[in-house]
Amino acid sequence: MSDEVKWETTISDVNDGILVNLEKPSPAYWVALAAAFSLVVLGIVFWARQVTIGMGVTYLNSPVYWGVYITDFVFWVGIGHAGTLISAILFLFRAKWRNTINRSAEAMTIFAVISAGLFPLIHVGRLWLAPYWMAPLPNTNNLWVNFRSPLIWDIFAISTYLTVSLLFWYMGLVPDLASIRDRTRGIKRLVYGFMSFGWRGTAKQWWHYEAGYGFLAALATPLVLSVHSVVSWDFAMSLQPGWHTTIFPPYFVAGAILSGCAMVYNLVVPIRWMFKLEKFILAEHLESCIKLTLLTSTIVFYAYGIEFFVAWYSGNPYEWALFEKRATGPYAFYFWVMTFCNCLFPLLFWSKRVRNSIPISWVICVLVNVGMWFERYNIIVSSLVEDFLPSSWGHYEPSPTDIFITWGSFGWFFFWFLIFCKFFPIVSLSEIKLIMPKPWSPKKLKGAAKHGAH
Amino acid sequence: MSITNEPGTPQSMHEDAYAEAPSADDPSRGREVWAPTEGPFEKPAKALEVGPLYVGVEERLPELAEREETVAAANPPKKRGKLSVDRRDFMKLFSASSLAATAACIERPLEKAIPFVQQPVDQWPGEPVFYATTCGECATGCGVMVRTREGRPTKLEGLPEHPISKGKLCAVGQSSLQGLFHPERPRAPKIRFGQRMEAVTWDEVYEHLGSKVAKTQKIGILTGGATGNRHGFFREFLERIGSTRDRLYTYDSNTLMESVAAAHKLAYGVNAMPRADLDQAKVIVGIGADFLDVGSSVVYHTHGYTQSHAFKAGNRGKHYQFESILTRTGAKADERFVIPPGAETLTTLLLVRALIENKRSKGSAAARQQIQAVLDQKAEVVASGYERVGIKREDLDKLANELLDEASIVMCAGSSAFDENATNLQLAAIMANELIGAYDVTLHLAKGWAVPPGQPGDLQRFLADAPGLDVLIVIDANPIFSLPPAFAVQDLLAKIPTVASIQEFPNEVDALAHYSLNGHHYLESWGDEQPVAGFWSARQPTVRATHDSRQAEDILMWVAASAKKPLGYVDYRDYLKKKWAAVHQVTGSQLDFDRFFDGVLQRGFVNTGASQAVSSVSGSLAASFKYVDTGRGGLRLIAPLDMRLGDGKHAHKPILQELPDALTMITWDSWVALNPTTCTKQGLKRGDVVKVQGPGGSFEAAVFPLPGLHPEAVVVPRGNGHALGAGYIQGGVGVNPLVAMARGSDALTGAPVTSGQAVKLSATGAVRPLAMTQKHNDIANRTDIVKKTSLVEARANLTKKRDLDTVPDLYPALPKAEYRWGMAIDLARCTGCGACQVACSTENNVAQVGHQMVLQGREMHWIKIDRYFEGSTDNPQVTFQPMLCQHCNHAPCEAVCPVFATNHDPEGLNAMTYNRCVGTRYCANACPYKIRRFNWFTYKWNEMGTDEYWKRDHSPRPMNPDVTVRTRGVMEKCTFCYQRVRDVKHKVKIRNTPLVDGEIKTACQQTCPAEAITFGNLFDPSAAVTQQRQDNRAYLALGGTPEKKEFGIKTLPNVSYLADVTLKENAASEHHGHE
Repeated sequence: MSDEVKWETTISDVNDGILVNLEKPSPAYWVALAAAFSLVVLGIVFWARQVTIGMGVTYLNSPVYWGVYITDFVFWVGIGHAGTLISAILFLFRAKWRNTINRSAEAMTIFAVISAGLFPLIHVGRLWLAPYWMAPLPNTNNLWVNFRSPLIWDIFAISTYLTVSLLFWYMGLVPDLASIRDRTRGIKRLVYGFMSFGWRGTAKQWWHYEAGYGFLAALATPLVLSVHSVVSWDFAMSLQPGWHTTIFPPYFVAGAILSGCAMVYNLVVPIRWMFKLEKFILAEHLESCIKLTLLTSTIVFYAYGIEFFVAWYSGNPYEWALFEKRATGPYAFYFWVMTFCNCLFPLLFWSKRVRNSIPISWVICVLVNVGMWFERYNIIVSSLVEDFLPSSWGHYEPSPTDIFITWGSFGWFFFWFLIFCKFFPIVSLSEIKLIMPKPWSPKKLKGAAKHGAH
Repeated sequence: MSITNEPGTPQSMHEDAYAEAPSADDPSRGREVWAPTEGPFEKPAKALEVGPLYVGVEERLPELAEREETVAAANPPKKRGKLSVDRRDFMKLFSASSLAATAACIERPLEKAIPFVQQPVDQWPGEPVFYATTCGECATGCGVMVRTREGRPTKLEGLPEHPISKGKLCAVGQSSLQGLFHPERPRAPKIRFGQRMEAVTWDEVYEHLGSKVAKTQKIGILTGGATGNRHGFFREFLERIGSTRDRLYTYDSNTLMESVAAAHKLAYGVNAMPRADLDQAKVIVGIGADFLDVGSSVVYHTHGYTQSHAFKAGNRGKHYQFESILTRTGAKADERFVIPPGAETLTTLLLVRALIENKRSKGSAAARQQIQAVLDQKAEVVASGYERVGIKREDLDKLANELLDEASIVMCAGSSAFDENATNLQLAAIMANELIGAYDVTLHLAKGWAVPPGQPGDLQRFLADAPGLDVLIVIDANPIFSLPPAFAVQDLLAKIPTVASIQEFPNEVDALAHYSLNGHHYLESWGDEQPVAGFWSARQPTVRATHDSRQAEDILMWVAASAKKPLGYVDYRDYLKKKWAAVHQVTGSQLDFDRFFDGVLQRGFVNTGASQAVSSVSGSLAASFKYVDTGRGGLRLIAPLDMRLGDGKHAHKPILQELPDALTMITWDSWVALNPTTCTKQGLKRGDVVKVQGPGGSFEAAVFPLPGLHPEAVVVPRGNGHALGAGYIQGGVGVNPLVAMARGSDALTGAPVTSGQAVKLSATGAVRPLAMTQKHNDIANRTDIVKKTSLVEARANLTKKRDLDTVPDLYPALPKAEYRWGMAIDLARCTGCGACQVACSTENNVAQVGHQMVLQGREMHWIKIDRYFEGSTDNPQVTFQPMLCQHCNHAPCEAVCPVFATNHDPEGLNAMTYNRCVGTRYCANACPYKIRRFNWFTYKWNEMGTDEYWKRDHSPRPMNPDVTVRTRGVMEKCTFCYQRVRDVKHKVKIRNTPLVDGEIKTACQQTCPAEAITFGNLFDPSAAVTQQRQDNRAYLALGGTPEKKEFGIKTLPNVSYLADVTLKENAASEHHGHE
């Protein structure tokens, strides 16, 4: 793959070419930032209203006690997964193409997990008590959290994930921050200098860095699988038809990576354009990302099929009735959106032409993200509306509050991502140099050799 | 001020509050109870414990008494002319007399709440005091026991020994507290000055109204149905002020009693209504009857019905129902025949024919001759009747045979059959019951229901007399709303120079009355009822008046005094005591009167043993029988009384508005119920708004396709439709179907026609979503939710035991404890009346949320009654299933709560710690029964989700102080009334003897007139609940089919159900669904 890449630039162009983002940004950047910020404000307004008046401002009800917020939670946690997959697992597999996009993918992970972390808080009825009582704090009453509850597992899983991702991301940033420090002056130099922990780029430092990076990659790898498995247990551990199934963990992980890869593509393409990184993030790298999307999409497709098959094969009338209704009942729209977006549209990626057409691929990736959001909505809502007792069957649709807070979370995510794009190298300076050709000039070659391998 | 309404005499407070009523098998239960007994009030001493409130506080706080005197001295009485008793003297007299009368009635300075400096003898903070009184929500006269805490009623329960209520209460009775504490009860009387109503003092009212009354002799009183001394008092008042006794008019929307009494007057010459003892009837035939819905006494009938009809010891009675609408009564029937609207009389005649042609039929020769004469007279109608009614002759012959086999009864008419033939129908019913020999077996005339004086025919008399009246006093009646507007009562009242309206809750009459006077709620009043001949049920105040209201009778006394024609009684209590002196004499009690009276108040009722004189059939039935052919075909509007809201009297109580109609599950609205086939034909769907055009007018409401209706029936319940602005709760809710009715009257009594008029439907194109608590109607082919068994099977397995608790699973064994609380619910008994829901909401401070929230699926009921239709949409089988927290031993909710807010109690309860709950709502998702309720907002008592409502001045609220009030963001659910469990556990600990089975009653169980719910300790092998859990009919909801080694979801609930028992073979396999 990336071995056959035709580079037009060399490692000597890297620092100048990539760090343009530290310069005065383009108007497009300001527009994007303003849009994201307005969405955040919108979300905050609606959330404040919800906290003031009560959870009732959503259209949640009995029997649908979980709706858009939990959908958003699972969606954002899922988005995060591709970042870790790309930066950690592909690092261990030495897939060279990941070096161009791993930095932005990791940033995406962190902001997605932070966005996800907001939703349990937005969702609970008594926000003012939840963080206190859901934290396992020792107390005189000997009251502990319920370690049997998947929600507690969630707290551990997500907080571990956020911590490890943050460390992993920051560690990769250290040499790059030092590069920025070396290019700036005054207060900026002081700040970047502080953030780079006095990185000098000595061989000893590089030796420690490589060892630590590899170690963190190994630490992050199981998290890719565990976090979304734990999230899936929120559903699988209950008795609810449509939720109570053993396929959920692998199914959720595959879905998470699918949505994550699609989101990476959705993010990298405009950023690449906005900061003119076409020379560094090449079409071939993007294509690799698409290939990963295609792979996970087929896994998800298989999971959907198996889920249906098992519902029928188990002979459980409640389970099968639910699956029948999913495909044909009042929530069939969500089901078919999900099927088309996650399973059928990505099949177009089998065509190299489609894969290489950035606009078409970008649109399909947006559709995949829409489909993955609908998948979670479908799993949560359509399982809850019609469960065991026909007398309790109900109906749910999102309220304006749900919708605006969801948009707010997108704003929140993009806002932080754009901030990241402005102040940090979008492409890992040190890592991209590993896969790029050396400069043409023998003089420069000589000079580069002197400084050690970059 | 006069203190006429101090709380009366409580039941002995240390007596067990939840004492068991005589059990079903107790020989002392049933008819024998009606005989005069050696009541407990024959025993002295204990009966005479001092009163409940602040007793003797004057003695201990002399400054208070002193202050009263100073105040009195500072305001010397005004000269008021030649009153025989000056008002202030009157008050002094009263004070003196009440001091003398009983220690319970000392005048107490209650203007300010005073903490106990020294605790009164029988007031223990936190310890309830119980009062026996008589429910005043309808004229049935059920005895109730009012639980008060610190002087405030918190819960109503049936009076265990009361032979009518048998310790049970209906949904309406349970809702009384919301009437008492309703925030919209006026704070002061009002007088109209031109267009303006102005709040005035009572003195002004007496003065003004007194002067009006003094000027004329054409004074009338219109009031509702009542059976005690009330009407006698009104007559005495009318007579004293110069009017005549017969200017007392009564009107009760439930005209069933009126038509039955009229028919008995015609047939037997006695104005009486026989008491139907359904527990004695092996075969019950209902023809348009709604004895389980509204009828003449829902609680009495439901109790009796389930005694004979529900499966018990291998047997059960049969019930055949003929009706054009679907009632709960019909829903419980074993065989249900759908007849066209208005065909009830014809159907009964056909049955009478089948009976008289049967050689085994009973009845005296004279009676048979009379009956034959009627049949001969109507030979033509009868001959063509089979085709008209759509029933085969053989079926009726078979039915006649069955009726003659065993003790049986024919119950005719309910509010769905109030048409021109309502009294004819009762005559036909008399004929049928004569022929099956029901009198003195299942129907008791001598000890029958007492009929309010003046009936039948009072309404027509009122309509004729009203234009000539100068003063009309309307007391606890609402003729404007409860009569079809075609009767033009509003115009009639508008023309009367002076209209005074004394209402317990303001209604449409107050809007045009010149005097809008706020009367006492029945829980603040003195009174009595004589529901059954010779059986007196006493009413006493259980709380001091919450507002500045007055009892209607006392108002009249003061008005009479002001008009210088005093009645000569201190107050109504004084009047009652004088009247009760006669009762005292009849009972032959050896006690002196005061002790007797206190005893009666304490016990709640007394039986004098008197009965009505009964003769055999006299007069000419054929001459009386004036059958009116109401025509056939087309759509017919039927406006039955709503089982919850009555004729609209109870529409102001949110708890009843939010109680779903048992069959449609609709709350907070009116609906047009149509047969699904009719709907399809007309292209109507659920929620489509149709215009119903009747002969008298039109209204618009949303359609509900209700299976089981006759295709010609258009059923719109009464109760709602109060105009917008007529109150925050009921104003603007639903429609009043009576607006479409033309003026029509019963051919014999003149009672208004409220059903059977031809109407046209037209779609308006609008859609109005109906707020239903259950949106899906069938069981969706699920086999382990509702189970049924056939009688044959149930009988064969009668002695077989079942072990529901041995389920193969990986959980550790349940911990051993002293108790494991469990509940058993018998589906064969549940009639879906909803009393449990209201009782539960009252006991547990469950919020009502209003129309919009119910639409969104956010009702808060801790117990709900699921209703499932099966079979054909033309004549479905209906099953009711109470559904509440199942208190699973392997509870899915407990495992998932992150903060242990829901947890398993060592005694098997699924407990909820509200303080701990953060509102993840995970438990509710995990709950397979979906009975957890979330507080989406802070629901304030009957706030209805609007801020505007809450801003109003609220009276003290009837919250149960034993139960935490939940705030927003918190999950809640059934607790098995843990506060009651705890109370009894404390008692058990103190008295140091083991718990007696049945000692603890949950609120739902306590009130259930069908006795469908049993609660107790599952570790006690002899407990009723344990027995029922081991019964062969027992099953666990969602517990699979254990006999096939399928154990469902294995939640192992502590609630078990007993399968319904049908007369059909192979009931279990019948699970055809339909939407």
